[in-house]
Amino acid sequence: MNVIEAENLSKTFRVKQKEKGMKGSIRAVFKPKTEEIKAVNGVSFAVEEGEALAFIGPNGAGKSTTIKMLTGILYPDGGRVQVLGIDPTKKRKQLAYQIGTVFGQKEQLWTHLTPYDNFQFFGAIYDIPDRETEKRIGELTEIFELSAFLNTPVRNLSLGQRIRCEIAASLIHRPKVLFLDEPTIGLDPVVKENIRFLIRQMNREFHTTIFLTSHDIGDIEKLCRRVIIVNSGQIVLDDSMEHLKFADASLEDIIMRVYREKGKEEPAL
Amino acid sequence: MRKYAVIYRSVFLENLQYTMNIALGLISYFIFIFVFINLWGYLYAEPGTRIAGYTREQMIWYVMITEMLWFGARSGAVAGQVSADIRGGNIAYLMNKPYHYTLYILARYTGEWSIRLPMYMALAVAAGIMMVGKLPGFGLPALLSSAVSILLGVTINGVFKICISLLSFWIEDANPFQWLYDKLILIVGTVFPIEIFPEAMRPFLKMTPIYTVCYGPAKLAVDFRMDQYLDILLAQFLYLAAGCGLMFFIYEKGVKKLYVNGG
Repeated sequence: MNVIEAENLSKTFRVKQKEKGMKGSIRAVFKPKTEEIKAVNGVSFAVEEGEALAFIGPNGAGKSTTIKMLTGILYPDGGRVQVLGIDPTKKRKQLAYQIGTVFGQKEQLWTHLTPYDNFQFFGAIYDIPDRETEKRIGELTEIFELSAFLNTPVRNLSLGQRIRCEIAASLIHRPKVLFLDEPTIGLDPVVKENIRFLIRQMNREFHTTIFLTSHDIGDIEKLCRRVIIVNSGQIVLDDSMEHLKFADASLEDIIMRVYREKGKEEPAL
Repeated sequence: MRKYAVIYRSVFLENLQYTMNIALGLISYFIFIFVFINLWGYLYAEPGTRIAGYTREQMIWYVMITEMLWFGARSGAVAGQVSADIRGGNIAYLMNKPYHYTLYILARYTGEWSIRLPMYMALAVAAGIMMVGKLPGFGLPALLSSAVSILLGVTINGVFKICISLLSFWIEDANPFQWLYDKLILIVGTVFPIEIFPEAMRPFLKMTPIYTVCYGPAKLAVDFRMDQYLDILLAQFLYLAAGCGLMFFIYEKGVKKLYVNGG
């Protein structure tokens, strides 16, 4: 069963352009210029329940824009999107109860509160009864090994501890699909490995569908069974991990290789 | 409602840590009312004088209450934060939760003013009793009616400030509009009661937020009349309903235009 379906998904941004210098700034006031940028251009794919998918590509490829359209944050200009049978643009709130999001570069926790208070907070936000929230906090504390800092304000936690708490908080309502946008960015190798283990465990135990974007080859190799590579807002490869053999460690090399294999023009990275 | 109560509680707890900062703001409030006490004292030099139907005590208490509302309802949540969320793209990370963003901000705002306003209220009452004396005719009806009216007035203020901030979806900076609104309330709304203005201007002023945000609550405290209470209450409910409708409308329109930097 497909939990995510995207069909010809498109999104165009209008970006202001300004010539350099004082003259350009004054001209921009009276004659503003804008440029259209196709961030996502006719993307189609489907993700099955329980699948762990890596959605990768260079900076500006359209990964985050796609995630934001799938979670109802951005409105697509064209195409159709359904997540768990729900149109995110029409029923964002209803969808929010069933999905979880982790943005590695963005704090979603309240920093003056402790992880425990944050979990209680998110429990209430997702309309979970207090007793049930308490039970789930216990489970997550055990799985993510949070007990040592459960009562320390988030602002005093290390980055690795915070990310663990971020992921745990995003799971308090037991989402069916978890969107992870660069969850291991800035973490040391040991913490990265721990986070990957926890995500893998969650995928296996709760059958949570994982939709991951990352520039880290380790994340992709160790977590995902399928890879979609996007560039310039279009899908350039959609294949299972078994078919892809990574010999290089950088994302740029993988994309170059895929381009060479597909006989397309190499992107300027 | 439970989720908004939890947001309110979290902001309240957060702001409790900044009570000293809020206390420092009391100094400017005190200077402000000290100037007005002396100014009105000079204008009311002759005993028994009434200006626009207000006695000296009523006029000074009126200004103290309106200024208290203006200072006590100042909030970073409804002004700077909404604009910054939209311009910086942070709104994207707040929208994908099962609450309405505007009500989330309103809950934050309530968490802010429910610490700030009582502190200003305590200072206003203490300074008023010491420097002006008790307000004649102030009883339980005036207390209860003005309390309800203050609650509604402060909420209306928050809703309109959110509406202005939501313009950031279309314009680079909504701050100039916030500035205009604040100055309208501060200069026209808090310093003089509506009765001071020429007859021809009064209907216009009653159409502005001044009537529901500051005039209504202060007027009920200094000169309670049941018919006036019902008028003000009706106006506040209408204003709140229209304001909330406008807020949801602007948000739903604006969110479709959302552009998030970096995707």
